[in-house]
Amino acid sequence: MSGGRGWDLLVEGCTTVAAPGTDAELLARVVAWAVRPRRSLEAIRRSCRDAGATLLRAETAAIRDVVADHVDADDAAAATPLVQMWAAAGVRAALVGDATYPVRLAEGWPETDGPTLLAWRGAAVPDVPTVAIVGARRATGYGTAVAAWLSEAAAAAGAHVVSGGAVGVDAAAHAAAVELPGGTTVVLGCGHGVAYPRPHARPGGLFDRVIDHGGTLASELLPQEPPHAGQVRARNRIVAGLADVVVVVEGGERSGALLTAGAAAERGRTVLAVPGDVRADGSVAPHRLLSEGVAPCTGPPDLLQALGGPRRGETVARGVAAGGLSTLPDDVHALLAARWPRPVRIDELARTTARAVGPLLAAVTRARVAGELADGPEGVRLRRAPG
Amino acid sequence: MGANHGVLATVHGVALVGLEPYRVTVEASLASGLPTLRLVGLPDAAVREAGDRVKTGLQRSGFVWPGERLVVNLAPADLPKVGTAFDLPLAIAVLIATGQVPRSAIGTWACGEVGLDGSIRAVPGLLPITAGARGFGAGRLFVPDVAAREAALVSDIEVVPVHDLAEVGRVLHGARPRVAEPAAIATPGPGPDLAEVRGQHLARRAVEIAAAGGHHLLLSGPPGCGKTMLAHRLHGLLPMLEVPAAMEVAAVHSLAGERAPDAPLSLVPPMREPHHTVSSAGLIGGGSGVPRPGELPLAHHGLLLMDELLETPRFVLDALRQPLERGSVIITRARARVTYPARVQLVAATNPCPCGELGNPTRSCSCRPDAIERYRARLSGPLLDRLDLQVEVWPVERDQLVGPPDGESTVVVARRVAEVRHRAAERWGSGVLSRDVPAATLRRSVRGAALRALASDLEQLGASARGFDRCLRVARTLADLAGDDVVDVEHVQEAVAYRLSSPVMAT
Ligand SMILES: Nc1ncnc2c1ncn2[C@@H]1O[C@H](COP(=O)(O)OP(=O)(O)O)[C@@H](O)[C@H]1O
Ligand SMILES: [Mg+2]
Ligand SMILES: [Zn+2]
Repeated sequence: MSGGRGWDLLVEGCTTVAAPGTDAELLARVVAWAVRPRRSLEAIRRSCRDAGATLLRAETAAIRDVVADHVDADDAAAATPLVQMWAAAGVRAALVGDATYPVRLAEGWPETDGPTLLAWRGAAVPDVPTVAIVGARRATGYGTAVAAWLSEAAAAAGAHVVSGGAVGVDAAAHAAAVELPGGTTVVLGCGHGVAYPRPHARPGGLFDRVIDHGGTLASELLPQEPPHAGQVRARNRIVAGLADVVVVVEGGERSGALLTAGAAAERGRTVLAVPGDVRADGSVAPHRLLSEGVAPCTGPPDLLQALGGPRRGETVARGVAAGGLSTLPDDVHALLAARWPRPVRIDELARTTARAVGPLLAAVTRARVAGELADGPEGVRLRRAPG
Repeated sequence: MGANHGVLATVHGVALVGLEPYRVTVEASLASGLPTLRLVGLPDAAVREAGDRVKTGLQRSGFVWPGERLVVNLAPADLPKVGTAFDLPLAIAVLIATGQVPRSAIGTWACGEVGLDGSIRAVPGLLPITAGARGFGAGRLFVPDVAAREAALVSDIEVVPVHDLAEVGRVLHGARPRVAEPAAIATPGPGPDLAEVRGQHLARRAVEIAAAGGHHLLLSGPPGCGKTMLAHRLHGLLPMLEVPAAMEVAAVHSLAGERAPDAPLSLVPPMREPHHTVSSAGLIGGGSGVPRPGELPLAHHGLLLMDELLETPRFVLDALRQPLERGSVIITRARARVTYPARVQLVAATNPCPCGELGNPTRSCSCRPDAIERYRARLSGPLLDRLDLQVEVWPVERDQLVGPPDGESTVVVARRVAEVRHRAAERWGSGVLSRDVPAATLRRSVRGAALRALASDLEQLGASARGFDRCLRVARTLADLAGDDVVDVEHVQEAVAYRLSSPVMAT
């Protein structure tokens, strides 16, 4: 289908929601397809898999084939309020294989079960070394403390932390990393239109803090989808898919953390388990993994080593903003510092430092992305007083 | 003089709808009856007047107007036949029908206006008419001799220059026709040099990129800061046109009557500078009958400079958008739909705000913020998206202005531009510019890391998704300027910077 006012409204909404590099019209088709209970986003992946779509480049083409001509005006009408809900919440969405869709999650798709569509609030998931810190909701003080300890060390070293949005180990991991260079991504078990879990979703709660500090709230679900057990389990595979290393901190016999570990192993990612108190129920999961040959995580060095040891200098851009190291060449930084807080024009920067405009502009972009530089009609200036 | 009763005298001409040629057949025959002329085939007023002109012209040239009833049909009937180009075919048809020239003249191709004294005069669009005649298989074409050199630019057709009807008669009787030399190819002198621009490193870089990739450019800055100066120097950086492209340009200009018929063929890309009060018809084309090409088609294969872009009414700006995207203008009329080519590079200049002082370090802007927003919002999002390069230009300091040249000359930069064009032609085919390459094709020559960097940079900077493709296009040209086949992160990061900083303008 195409044309028609209903369809136009849907595409208009999708244009707002589509992340850079995402085809708004294809997004509209995918959403319109998925609003019907018989069809699902997961079914798109299965069809693509059955069609033998494996080439990384062919992903969107395969999706297009699946959803082509299957959506009608009613579907579009049903999808439009959902997309508008996303738009109102400032959600961005990308399809698997798109530029902002996390690379790790797309790996091996459609054989691997990365979601066809990912919707997020806040920044796009960064492409940096990433650790998933997972564990039970009913965590012990030991569990939350270890989660925070590992998370903080990883994020301070520039690694990104990812976990679910639950209370307990998940929340401890996010809270410890949220203001650090690596930043954090929360994977929700419900749509963006559902405020769950309440304490984290309320204004000024953990989720707001994550977003305010440049982190991400991600969900594969349409906005109105409520959380239920099946979706929480499905969520775990995304957590695993986003991570280079999965650390299981605590979990009971039937813990979702075991599922996360399993999904990570299937993708060939490293799994670590934190040894616990042998008397605690929450130690069952990590201890089972340990007995199956998973390496123990006895502290930050184990984790950082598994991550390939990201060094401080290599942190993500927004780490620099927080960390104080400049992304700018010394002479450029010196000139801006001398002028601070007054802005300097690119022309003057180029002339004074005798630098070519091209590389200079590239450096300026990096510094703006890192939050180090602000730009305006009068030129660029350092955001913070030079130290 | 034996009248050829019953002879159907058929002569061919060419009608243009836009630049599209259509074969027109002029059939004349004599019938018994009162000495009247009957013209059929729905000709417009000008063609009806053709009867009078041709009659007088023939008589003044020593020919005889028939004393019988003359029926002339211009076919096909449903084609609008405007202008005076069918005078000459009509005159020849009458000469055949009345036996004043041999029957071997049947099937002659001709184009030209007949004056009351029998002279043959130039008509607009002779170049596309000649090309059209050749396309229809004409072996030779009679044309007004004043414009013959223009027609002779078309190869594989014999162009017969004729000064008057008497000469037409001599040639049709077997006299050896004159030979038309093709118009010379103009070798232009150098234009204003880039080295005359002091400072303006950022704008110079943008001008170079724009020339290399054909990107549309927006220069924003206060009056007198050098925007027009820069735009004119961008024109000097563009490579000369290939002869076929130059012919297309000449064809449009010929049709618009903007070209002296004996002018040499210019290889310089056209540059048009319409005033900001231009109407949308002035931009696209218009007028009664078959619409005359406007500024956009006249700038085909060249530059369209739009000064004071934000003073231009919004609906005129809207009229720009589609042609820029499609590379042609379409004018729809009750009786015809006319398309003109308009592969145009837009260079737009604007004040940063209504008073022009926004961002000036020494003088303060007197505009209210909402006035600035409204002013800038006039540049519709989609048009802004097509302006691949957007830079702020500021007046340079006095001591710089009077100092020695501090930048490269046109010759040096034009050489790099030519290299980039060459690389682009090898990659995408002759004449294809980065500006025109579809995003999906572009992406294939972009490193994955660069795509992701671009997406996340735009995201971090709060830019809309629409800026994505624009940055990719520019990054492609930047890589070519650097001699890199693959677009890398560094190119993308530079490309991101060519956008105006105001949140209103940011996309
Ligand atoms: N950077 C510059 N280098 C040399 N001359 C300049 C420069 N900027 C402005 N001028 C001088 O000022 C004149 C006005 O510039 P112009 O291009 O008409 O400005 P604008 O189009 O921005 O109003 C130019 O003709 C030139 O003589
Ligand atoms: Mg000017
Ligand atoms: Zn102002």
